[in-house]
Amino acid sequence: MKNGKKLLSLLLAGSMAVSLAACGSDDSASTYAPADTTPADTTTEVAATDTSAEEETTEAPAAAELDTSERVDLVFYVMGDAPADEQVVEDAINEKLLEKLNATVDFQFSTWTDFQQKYSLELTSGGADLIYVANWLNYGQLAASGAFVELDDILNTYTPELRDLVGEENLNMCSVNGSIYAVPNASPEYVSSGIKYREDLRKQFDLPVPDSIEHMEEYFLGIKENMPNQGILTSTTEESTGFQVAFDAAWCLGIKHPWVAANGLPYGLAAMYDTPNQVFDYWFSDEFVEDMNLMKKWADYGFWSKSALSDSNNSDSYKNGLCVAEPQGQNPAKYITSVSDFEKAGEGWESAYLAYGEVTGIIYPAHATQNATAVVRGCKNPERALAVVQYLMCDEEMNKLVQCGIEGTHYTINDEGFYEAVEDTKFGYEGFSTWNLRNDQYKLFTENDVLKNEIFDKLMKIGEKTKFLNTDIYSGFTENFDDYAAERTAVSNVMRQYLAPLQAGLVDDVDAAVAEFRDKVTAAGLEKVREGFTAQWEAYCDEYGYK
Amino acid sequence: MEVTNKQDKLAILFENRAGKKLGVWITLAVSALSVILMLPFANWIKIVNGYNLVTKLKVSTDQVALLKGGYPVYSMLSFVQHASAGIMGLFSMIMLMLAIATAYFQIAYLVKGLANIRGKKGELSLYGAAEAAMVFNILLTILTMVFAAFSNNKVGVKGFVPTAVVYVVLVISLLGYAVVKKLQAVERALYHEHGLWKELKKNWVLFLMLVPTFIYFLINNYLPMVGVYYAFTQFNFRDGLWASPFIGFKNFEYLVSADLFRLTRNTVLYNVVFICLGNLLQIIFAIFVSQVTVKWFKKTSQTLMFMPYFVSFVILKVIVYNLFEYDYGVINTFVTALGGERIDFYNTPSYWPFLITFFHIWKGIGYGMVVYLATIMGIDAELYDAAKVDGANVFQQIRFITLPQLKPTFIILLLYALGGIMKGQFELFYQMVGNNGLLFNVTDILDTYVYRIAMTQPLSIGLGTAAGLYQSVFGFILIMVTNWVVKRRNDEYALF
Amino acid sequence: MKIKKGPSTIIFNIIAYTLLALGAIVCVIPFLMILSGSFTDNHTILTQGYSLLPRDITVSAYKTIFKAPQDILHAYKMTIFYTGLGTFLGLMMITLTAYVISRKEFKYRNNISFLIYFTSIFGGGTIPWYLMYSSVLGLKGSTIAIWFPALMSPFLVILMRTFIVGSVPDAITESAKIDGAGHVTIFLRIVMPVLGPGLATIGLFLALGYWNDWYRSSMFSTDSSTWELQFYLYDLLNASTAIKQMSQNSGMATVELPTQSVKLAMAVVATGPVLAFYPFVQKYFVSGITVGAVKG
Repeated sequence: MKNGKKLLSLLLAGSMAVSLAACGSDDSASTYAPADTTPADTTTEVAATDTSAEEETTEAPAAAELDTSERVDLVFYVMGDAPADEQVVEDAINEKLLEKLNATVDFQFSTWTDFQQKYSLELTSGGADLIYVANWLNYGQLAASGAFVELDDILNTYTPELRDLVGEENLNMCSVNGSIYAVPNASPEYVSSGIKYREDLRKQFDLPVPDSIEHMEEYFLGIKENMPNQGILTSTTEESTGFQVAFDAAWCLGIKHPWVAANGLPYGLAAMYDTPNQVFDYWFSDEFVEDMNLMKKWADYGFWSKSALSDSNNSDSYKNGLCVAEPQGQNPAKYITSVSDFEKAGEGWESAYLAYGEVTGIIYPAHATQNATAVVRGCKNPERALAVVQYLMCDEEMNKLVQCGIEGTHYTINDEGFYEAVEDTKFGYEGFSTWNLRNDQYKLFTENDVLKNEIFDKLMKIGEKTKFLNTDIYSGFTENFDDYAAERTAVSNVMRQYLAPLQAGLVDDVDAAVAEFRDKVTAAGLEKVREGFTAQWEAYCDEYGYK
Repeated sequence: MEVTNKQDKLAILFENRAGKKLGVWITLAVSALSVILMLPFANWIKIVNGYNLVTKLKVSTDQVALLKGGYPVYSMLSFVQHASAGIMGLFSMIMLMLAIATAYFQIAYLVKGLANIRGKKGELSLYGAAEAAMVFNILLTILTMVFAAFSNNKVGVKGFVPTAVVYVVLVISLLGYAVVKKLQAVERALYHEHGLWKELKKNWVLFLMLVPTFIYFLINNYLPMVGVYYAFTQFNFRDGLWASPFIGFKNFEYLVSADLFRLTRNTVLYNVVFICLGNLLQIIFAIFVSQVTVKWFKKTSQTLMFMPYFVSFVILKVIVYNLFEYDYGVINTFVTALGGERIDFYNTPSYWPFLITFFHIWKGIGYGMVVYLATIMGIDAELYDAAKVDGANVFQQIRFITLPQLKPTFIILLLYALGGIMKGQFELFYQMVGNNGLLFNVTDILDTYVYRIAMTQPLSIGLGTAAGLYQSVFGFILIMVTNWVVKRRNDEYALF
Repeated sequence: MKIKKGPSTIIFNIIAYTLLALGAIVCVIPFLMILSGSFTDNHTILTQGYSLLPRDITVSAYKTIFKAPQDILHAYKMTIFYTGLGTFLGLMMITLTAYVISRKEFKYRNNISFLIYFTSIFGGGTIPWYLMYSSVLGLKGSTIAIWFPALMSPFLVILMRTFIVGSVPDAITESAKIDGAGHVTIFLRIVMPVLGPGLATIGLFLALGYWNDWYRSSMFSTDSSTWELQFYLYDLLNASTAIKQMSQNSGMATVELPTQSVKLAMAVVATGPVLAFYPFVQKYFVSGITVGAVKG
């Protein structure tokens, strides 16, 4: 019954928002006001969407001391699978939490099966109190639709320590429509897109570093000629399901363009990073045709399988030497994983990494919404929930516990001071998948982190010359596509149907295929989608001064 | 007429006028009147206190004009839609559905009464229709009043008032109900029939046995049906599931614009092939298995054919890719070894309907065989013995004994399958085709399409429900029509 | 009675045996691929693909699985529990319902049959169904949410009803009634004893449904102690694809993914026992059941 009440209160909260907003309007007149004299503030539909913000300000608590007299049991929804020792670590955490905040936390895991669907169901049913949020889980749209509690006041009143740890700037990046809905982690990192490739083969055949399209081609071709049976790329469509690209190999083109986002803007638009508000057209440009001809050439060279569009190789292919490079979705962390994988394999393979930004000069750290924590609307004790987050992040002992488990049982610190998991540990590094609770101050470093920091340092230096310092412009943008949702879906389908084969070079005549794609995507309503997007994008750039 | 004598006061109801009892005429009149009162000119709900109402609802200027005046019983939805009044949408939706049902029952009664359609048990079916008509009238009027009270409470202004029409219909329907009950009691005594209450008393053990089932279906199926309401809303978290804006048929328009015709065609065609071919092969193999006399062979083959049922689709996908891949796939390796040309399966849509059908049938054949096999095993062995004595060979035995005996089973299974004809085998299609857009034209079914929408739009609850509702209604209409056709030809084969 | 085989019988037998053998082979090949893959070295699978016979034979995949066997054994235990309880309760409820709607003297039998059948064509969709169990009943994380939703299915109820009508002649129940037997007595003494084959077939359908289910664990389990076996497997299979789709998230880099051969070994471990069990149920089909209409 507890949950039944929760649902009820959720409903009540929703209806209260409506009724509260209605207060303060004129009650005296009892006839219909003439349409033209109706007061503007009561007739705009926009007002309805702002109500929750008003509601928040009305309660404005004065007391800064958190009342912990009543015990609170919180559910923390995180991604991935539970570690074997979930209960052990939870017990250890709760012991401390009860003592300090009279609260407990129960981690619940999405598992990786249907996680997108379950994630939104979890929010809909309001079962959780705290939840992991990220831009790849549509944080912006969810926050705009009111899935989370506004945190501005609570942060200032009850958890200033947390606010200071994360920093104003990062918090502001998490704000949607003027309110902060999430607390990011305190661990800046670079997730720049790039290519990882087999360095040993490059050296062996004396090939160039793939730092331009031409060199990439030379590199791939060189290996193909020397080792005819070696796969080059095991590209699929799996990492290209958005609105920018439709085939993984097309990520290579990122090395040419100093664009505002890795693969340009959605819907075949693009803008330079330095002038983000000047949107231009890519799909209908001559360059696009050139690029597609290039992809066709590569496909004909046999850089990827002819069945690539349906392939769904697992991430093992690079690790097992099935391909010599991966040009899609590669960031420093993934590169480092490959380095240690190769070490384990012991075949003498070497991995190298090149961020496209090193060539284009556009480098910025990950957006704050990459890993963050939010309080779910419907949580009865948002203050306490946030206090728990503060404790988990700001307390050294606690942070180590939640991220790495119990020292001695799950991990040890080796002689050089690095984290080392015990053999067959039942709680791995970041065993709760709480990437959102990272705090670099207390983070236990692993040996890999040394290499990672080297890369980060290198990227940071380049980043210093980037026009908008440390700003991931595109990830801060939240698109509202309600007005053109149908056309947007149609465009997505055309991309899967016509752009994917084009980018995979699986067409006979590139010019004809380009023409067909352009026809189809126009017919799908591209104009309307682009108009809607561009207007919002330009407004966003204006607002933040990205010019 | 002896019964009526005991109730002199009401005897007038039983008097025959113009071929019908006076009571029937009275209730028919009530029905007719209420149908007339449901027409658009008669307002059931009046909007008062208008200015306050629109300000409370925060509607935009151009919408105000649309909200004035009064509303017939079934059009409160349009008010709610223009006013974006959230949770009232669900209530009006129920009201609309009840109004349609009520209208249906009135008209059904009028037709029955005026056309003198009689059932097996005299006037009983007519009275049944009358009772339903009156009960629904009463329910509808009461609901209308509750709606007004509820909405006033919700909005916080006394803006909705039930009009006199509502009270009139309520009073005459109550009257009509009493009349029907009187008529019914007499007629029931005549045919030894009884109502729900008596049945409950008589067979209470049977009812008790049904209690767990009742609870199960209520929880698992009937209560969640309320959720079809989401199909008419645009969900957002701020307002929650029940108070999100009501948007009418927008979600359905969206589906139609998404090439609904092609999706429907694909889904239906695939299912038709699956059902027909699948059943055919299941029958053939069931017959084979039943005729085989070598015991170990019989057992082994039956068990082996059951195996694919356990192959998870995720694994199937890997296997299929390994078989059909262009360069290294098993089949292409084989083809080139024989000196043939490589076949480009994954870039040629025309192969896929066959491949998908093959793997679907392959996966379900062992499972589907069970029912047919069981039916064959249940055929009286004497039939075969007699046939053998008559010199019928094995083909003749199958033709004249097995197949006719399987026919009812086949038809009924077919009818069962029809209800789900719009529901696709999502996993099968999704895992085998994945994101390969080249194949979408021939492999996209409604479920995969909706899944892709859900992936690009995080808040598509309304749309998903709308698609589900479309599937359900499509299946429902199809099964009703088919059943009606079958029933007319041969009642024995009809499903219900 | 002995009848000599005519030429048609021989032709028929040739066709039947050939096609059956062919069908059986087609059905079993992928399974063999899985089985041999589970004994093949992971690197070999990735580089050379699947084959019918294992190459570079190794049991390392099974070793990986059974290194910490408690997880998989627990999942086994849970699935057996769900299957046992669900099949037992389901059979009971289905049989009771089928008995009631098979009674001619029960006035509303056809209405109730239709109400049950109606649920198979019309539904509210996944979301309200999920909310019903998780929010309204608060069963998220409970084992009830895993076995309860699959207790009954309209098709099985009607299958059972037809079976009861076919195997219990009206005359017998009528005479029992005259002897003063109530519905409970008739059900237990007269109907139940002849239901063997029906119970076996419907029990098989129910049990297979439970054994093969992963979806309810996915929706309602909050920790791995309530997982069904199939979900344990399914989640392993899905993890790699899912993780890849979130390409940009660096946090995922440290996750250790199961290798191809481990996945296949999991599949073998999860389905093997059922296949071993199936031949024992087969013989109960002999007495036969038939499907009938919704109306009675």
